[in-house]
Amino acid sequence: MQIRKVTAFLVRDLLWDLSYPFSFFWQGSSIFFNLVTFYFLGYLVSGSTVGYLSSYGGGNYFPFVLVGLALASFQGVALTSISTAIQYGMYTGTLEAMLVTPTSLSTIVFSSVLYQFTSSLLSLLLYLLFGAVLFGFSLAKANLLSAAVMLALTLLAHLPLGIFSASFLLVFKRGNPITSLVGSFSALLGGVYFPLAVLPGWLRTVSFFLPFTHALEGLRQAVLNGRSLAALTTQVAVLGIFAMVLLPLSLAVFGYAIHQAKRLGTLSQF
Amino acid sequence: MGATPAVAVTGLTKHFPLITLRNLFTGTWREGVWALKEVNFELFPGEVLFILGPNGSGKTTLIKLIATLLAPTEGRISVYGFDAARFPLPVKQRLGYITCNESSFYGRLTGWHNLAFFARLHNLNPQDAIPPVVKALKLTAYLERRFYTYSTGIKRRMDIARGLLHQPDILLLDEPTTNLDPLSAAQLRQLLVQIRDQGKTMIIVTHRLEEVQKIGGRVGIMKDGRFWEVRPEGGENLEELYNRAVGGETRADS
Repeated sequence: MQIRKVTAFLVRDLLWDLSYPFSFFWQGSSIFFNLVTFYFLGYLVSGSTVGYLSSYGGGNYFPFVLVGLALASFQGVALTSISTAIQYGMYTGTLEAMLVTPTSLSTIVFSSVLYQFTSSLLSLLLYLLFGAVLFGFSLAKANLLSAAVMLALTLLAHLPLGIFSASFLLVFKRGNPITSLVGSFSALLGGVYFPLAVLPGWLRTVSFFLPFTHALEGLRQAVLNGRSLAALTTQVAVLGIFAMVLLPLSLAVFGYAIHQAKRLGTLSQF
Repeated sequence: MGATPAVAVTGLTKHFPLITLRNLFTGTWREGVWALKEVNFELFPGEVLFILGPNGSGKTTLIKLIATLLAPTEGRISVYGFDAARFPLPVKQRLGYITCNESSFYGRLTGWHNLAFFARLHNLNPQDAIPPVVKALKLTAYLERRFYTYSTGIKRRMDIARGLLHQPDILLLDEPTTNLDPLSAAQLRQLLVQIRDQGKTMIIVTHRLEEVQKIGGRVGIMKDGRFWEVRPEGGENLEELYNRAVGGETRADS
């Protein structure tokens, strides 16, 4: 029963994407142009920053930033996909049309984001593929098992933040403080564009409390230095703690938000 | 009439609290709107109930409460004996909610893909569920076209098709002929007569008194969250009765 419903959402979203025939092309080209920009930027900054980058596979800026860009796009989907799905459903009325079927809001929401996660995973692979084929990015050292575990933990540690954000939207309809704050702080302090070593000490302390910092460090070590899971225990433990604490808490908050939304009537307003 | 009402509404009250910072911190929620006040009625299988009333009188809130989209503040709704708050699943299986909101479909998907999506949410096989419904509603020829290419009349019929996919016993319709041209509105009324003749129970929110006259059924009026049933007597026409009931207010679109 549940599989039929989950499949319905996947088919719906695939058909929706296919109805825009150029969307895949533009998505791919935006990744390509992003990489071109950072490839040439890499020539500019590599000489002066080689010391900071030495612990990331040989000191080149391009591989360092490529992994950062790829994970940042993945994190963005984890943070925003659930609230985007809810917002669209509330705005158009599709959410009401789904809620009068024997399908729970949780099933609707989590099934609605599966396609986006699949798509974002493909985008991440496209980053790596373009990097390898067009810009000489090497995956020779990569430990794929460690990379896969880091991606799964990235998802589990960030999904609760997306659920908190969706809960806020269910009740208050607009404004999304969690996504904005976490997204902005992660971009600035997570180390996407520069290593954390360049930050002042107090900002490095703040960055420690962002799950993205640990996710990115773990993924870079797995992809650029081929570190095994045994060598990434700190990152695995920190992300695991984030996931174990935040996931049940976020689901409880989400349940409460659904109850409040039915009471306040905000499910059908925008 | 059967012993068990198709829909029984008892002491139904709905308060929409106003979300303010003070309410959040005090948790009192005193401010807000009382959308429904002590609504009571019973509707038996095969009956049609029209709900009339000025804008903001609580009609849509009532429909959404029955459809389990809102939680009552007080009171109870039961559908074929099932408490809607405690047993929403069997209630949803018996209800077909016609939203009359064309944006509640996916415009870039075809009619078939839209209906197939909602059929699967009802745990139905689209190949079995869709053909009989679209044939009855004369929609078969439109299924391969994208939803956004349809006229408003076809979109409304697709909405009804979606509500009928799981063969519900009760249909809830919220202003079904709004935005339709006179011909499409007449065709839709004819369709509702056919659905009524199949023995479906219907609750229809409308502003158009001609719908009451042409489809036929019981009439409830809502004003300021209160509901009462009216029966024209002694040659009194419905429009006079309505105007008297709502305090002389004239409906622009009747």
